[in-house]
Amino acid sequence: MNLILIPIFLPLATAAAVLLISERTKYLKEILSSAAALVTLLAAADIFLQLPDVQQLSLPWIGSGLGFTLRADTLSAFLLLAVSLFSAAISIYSFSMPDKGSSKWFFFNLLMTQAFAAGAALADSLLVMLFFWEGLLVFLYTFIVLSQDSPGARRTAKKAFLINGVTDLCLLVGITITGYIAGTMNMSEIARNKLTLDYGWSVFAYVLLLIGAVSKAGAMPFHTWIPDAATDSSSPFMAYIPAAIDKLLGIYFLARASVYLYQLNGAMSIVLMTLGAFTILAAVMMAFVQKDYKRLLSYHAVSQTGYMILGIGTLNPIGIAGGLFHMINHATYKSCLFMTAGSVERRTGTNDLSKLGGLFRLMPLTGIFFLIAAAAISGIAPFNGFFSKELVYRGALDSGHPLFFWAAELGSFLTLASFLKLGHSVYFGKLPENLKNTKEAPFSMLLPMAALAAICVLFGFGAHLPLERFIGPALDSIGVRHGALAGFEAGKLYFLSVIVILAAVINHMLGLAAGGGKASKASDHIHYAPVLKEAYAMAENRVFDIYELGMDKVVPVVAKAMFSVDRFFDWVIDTAPSSTAGFFSEASERFHNGSYPLYLALTLAGALVYILLAALNGGLK
Amino acid sequence: MDKGLLAYLLIPLLSAVLIPFAARARRRLADVIANVTLLAGLANLAWLVLRPSMISGGFADIPGDGLTLLLVGAVYLVGFCVTFFSAWFMEDGTPNRQAYYSLILVSVAAMTGVVSATDFFTLYVFIEVLAVTSFALITTDDSGRGVEGALKYFFLTFPASALIILGISILMLTLGSLSFDNLRIFMASGVPSSGPVTFGAALMLLGFLIKSGVAPFHTWTPDAYQGAYAPVSAHLAGIVTKISGVYALIRMAALLHFFDGRALALSDLLMFLGMLSIAVGAVAALRQKDFKRMLAFSSVSQVGYIVLAAGLGTPLAIMGAIFHLFNHATFKTVLFLNSASLEKSAGTTDMEKLGGMEHAMPWTSWTSVVALLSTAGVPPLSGFWSKLLIILALWQAGLKTYAVLALLFSIVTLAYFMVMQRKVFFGKKSRAAEASAEVSAPLLAPAVLMSALIVALGLLFPYFYTYVRMVAERILI
Repeated sequence: MNLILIPIFLPLATAAAVLLISERTKYLKEILSSAAALVTLLAAADIFLQLPDVQQLSLPWIGSGLGFTLRADTLSAFLLLAVSLFSAAISIYSFSMPDKGSSKWFFFNLLMTQAFAAGAALADSLLVMLFFWEGLLVFLYTFIVLSQDSPGARRTAKKAFLINGVTDLCLLVGITITGYIAGTMNMSEIARNKLTLDYGWSVFAYVLLLIGAVSKAGAMPFHTWIPDAATDSSSPFMAYIPAAIDKLLGIYFLARASVYLYQLNGAMSIVLMTLGAFTILAAVMMAFVQKDYKRLLSYHAVSQTGYMILGIGTLNPIGIAGGLFHMINHATYKSCLFMTAGSVERRTGTNDLSKLGGLFRLMPLTGIFFLIAAAAISGIAPFNGFFSKELVYRGALDSGHPLFFWAAELGSFLTLASFLKLGHSVYFGKLPENLKNTKEAPFSMLLPMAALAAICVLFGFGAHLPLERFIGPALDSIGVRHGALAGFEAGKLYFLSVIVILAAVINHMLGLAAGGGKASKASDHIHYAPVLKEAYAMAENRVFDIYELGMDKVVPVVAKAMFSVDRFFDWVIDTAPSSTAGFFSEASERFHNGSYPLYLALTLAGALVYILLAALNGGLK
Repeated sequence: MDKGLLAYLLIPLLSAVLIPFAARARRRLADVIANVTLLAGLANLAWLVLRPSMISGGFADIPGDGLTLLLVGAVYLVGFCVTFFSAWFMEDGTPNRQAYYSLILVSVAAMTGVVSATDFFTLYVFIEVLAVTSFALITTDDSGRGVEGALKYFFLTFPASALIILGISILMLTLGSLSFDNLRIFMASGVPSSGPVTFGAALMLLGFLIKSGVAPFHTWTPDAYQGAYAPVSAHLAGIVTKISGVYALIRMAALLHFFDGRALALSDLLMFLGMLSIAVGAVAALRQKDFKRMLAFSSVSQVGYIVLAAGLGTPLAIMGAIFHLFNHATFKTVLFLNSASLEKSAGTTDMEKLGGMEHAMPWTSWTSVVALLSTAGVPPLSGFWSKLLIILALWQAGLKTYAVLALLFSIVTLAYFMVMQRKVFFGKKSRAAEASAEVSAPLLAPAVLMSALIVALGLLFPYFYTYVRMVAERILI
């Protein structure tokens, strides 16, 4: 069997096997899933290590030149490795996690998501990728809806499904047009002769691909289900899908579409960078004022996507490298952060910042991992987030539009400020009475956190390692020529980041002073500032949520219109024929009354007409 | 007369004569003799046609023109199903067993005579014999409705006999002979002054149309079928009216060379009446409250398909017409026998009083489903193929309106039968369903046999197609 099939079919087979195992068995499903995830990880590592010997597979599929083609070039192999890594980490993390819903269905969804994500990463044909991509949508829905038995979970699952369903539809149309323009569905063939945005159809197709990709990554304005899922589903789900898998796939395909398939122009670059900068700022503003651990993290998950889109949108090698590097870094620390949230929730039973505090002494390891990941997301040297953000900044500066650079810096400032607030209110400050007996998280939860935190450190101190081993070759494989990517220099950018750190700390002090010393209120001076207060109130009321707007304003009108159209068709195919038939059959019923004279008269009249006709038409000549 | 099949005519006639004497003391002997006679005939026919060597040879060695043999088979099949069913259906004493079976056998003999006739006068004689036995059979149980049905049948179809004999006389005067072959040769020769011959033929066709119950001459059918003694309805609707009317129409369509554009006006007239019949029968069936009456209107509608195809007269259409004639015999027999079972078990065929009968009578219910789906032309049952052939033939001949209408009305067919199935068998259990039970196995056997045949003919269509094509080729030479 081809090595490339293992990451897809092993999880699929295991998922099927998990369903057969009784819900009452303890740890059997967990062991099976973790083992499958680890074997897949090994296979993925093997695929990566065999590079530059590219693994590929091509099977006949739906005919007419549309084959089932998989191809593990460096970017795909790298992505596959990341997907497998996070799958393994989450499998182990969820080993003893109690509030993940039915463990049978949890692992089924996890493994199915893994298999389909691996398929999407490896697909070379756009159609095959679409197949796996759409498959993910199904398991996104089942994952959320089965994680909790609550109306909220069902509502959020529907919301996630509809938002992603609509954008996946855009992707489908985009892929169809792209394939039609290019004359082939295979990405490697399209890349040999990149499409340009010179005419309307290709711009349209690219924009549709862009919508599909950024919505998967969770950029604004397609992000609104993520904060809802933070409260309505489990921490492992959050750590796995919105934090890791969705970002990986969305940014992966964004890079593929923007660099590999299409040759973008300056205008589209501005569009991408604007989208990125807007996402950074708007989401981080929302994140800053959140009072819930997971909800705060989920807004950051949206905000950080902005950096990746901004990085890729610069279209210069440094920026793209920064975007891809930030993608893997973000998945690492955000997954780790959601895991810490899960640990805290498991041990204390709450995620509400105002009810937490001083946990560092009781949960020192979780606290340390939190600090590392928080430092990484805030871009503090020398953790991994610092280096990837640095690349994005440099890319933004090089693009010749310094405005985006300043937006990104402002985003960093708010990110750090909100993590100061979060860390302070959860791990430091006063320990509430009822949390005195809190214990450290179990080993199975600490291990994946430790591994991810270690990666944060490793990719920070040794940033040249991932840049040279992963990001550089990945850029080569999608045809981006680049110079040296690594290298720390204590230049202007570094000092600027120090200033940002200081500003954030000062802001935190101010907030504390204004909030009466309570860390959970350290954002209130901005939250309730004159103009922002109204804006936040509107945001809390979901005024900016296109899904809710659509559901409230557009859907009822459209539904009413469709209802009347439907009634019309009902009438055409139902009422009209049946009343016509009814009319005639009633008439015939009235006629067939058994009266012999009537019947005889009809027979004779009919016979007479017949004879006349027969006689006139050539009968008696 | 086709002499090769004379035995199939004479033996039932002999049995019919024998029954009143042999079964005078032991009444049940009448059942036995009738059944054995027909079963033996059926077995003989099966051996004649279904020998492996015959099938592999593409039925080339079939005696006669093949149509005769096929229809003799259908006559014996339906006749046997009816007698077998009657043997268990009839209660002791009423009605007069010996007379009943004698009449059935005479009617079988007469039908054999009709289909093996090779000249119009013989045809006419046997059709009249058949009509007389039918009048008597309808009144088997002496009920008021039976007598009314028989009278209507008699009085509304007697113009047919007059028209046929008139047509025969005109033909005799102008053509000088009454044999089929002479008419065929005359039509094929393309003599310009064919007017009187065609007119004679037109009068005969009109007679056969009346006998087939084609609209607007269909008015006797509902009353006759509904009023008749239950198994007799199956006999009458399944085979008798088809042989006494529809068979002759197909035969004449072939003889008159409709397919090369002879007698075009007649062909058009026939097709129009066929379509009218399809429409009137289907529309009237929609609102019927009585199972048997609905089946009667359905017969009118299905006969319309055969007449439509016969009127078109192309080889494909003739094949469709023959096949549909045979299929009609199978599915209509099943449905009428099932209505008889319902009458025996639940005491009524009024659909308003029935309901949920599938709980009580699952076999009856499911054989009905098979038969009604075949009637409506649902694949892969046999009715699908015959309707497909007919519609294809219409389309090929450029008669797209007729083709579309024929298709549309087969949907209406499905609609009224679904209404029937819903009202009688499906749905909530009615009081009738709670009080009744499935009829005994011998009563079910004919319906099950016929249903199996419907499925088998549908699935083994290629073999049957070979046979029917051979028939069409021979009779259209």
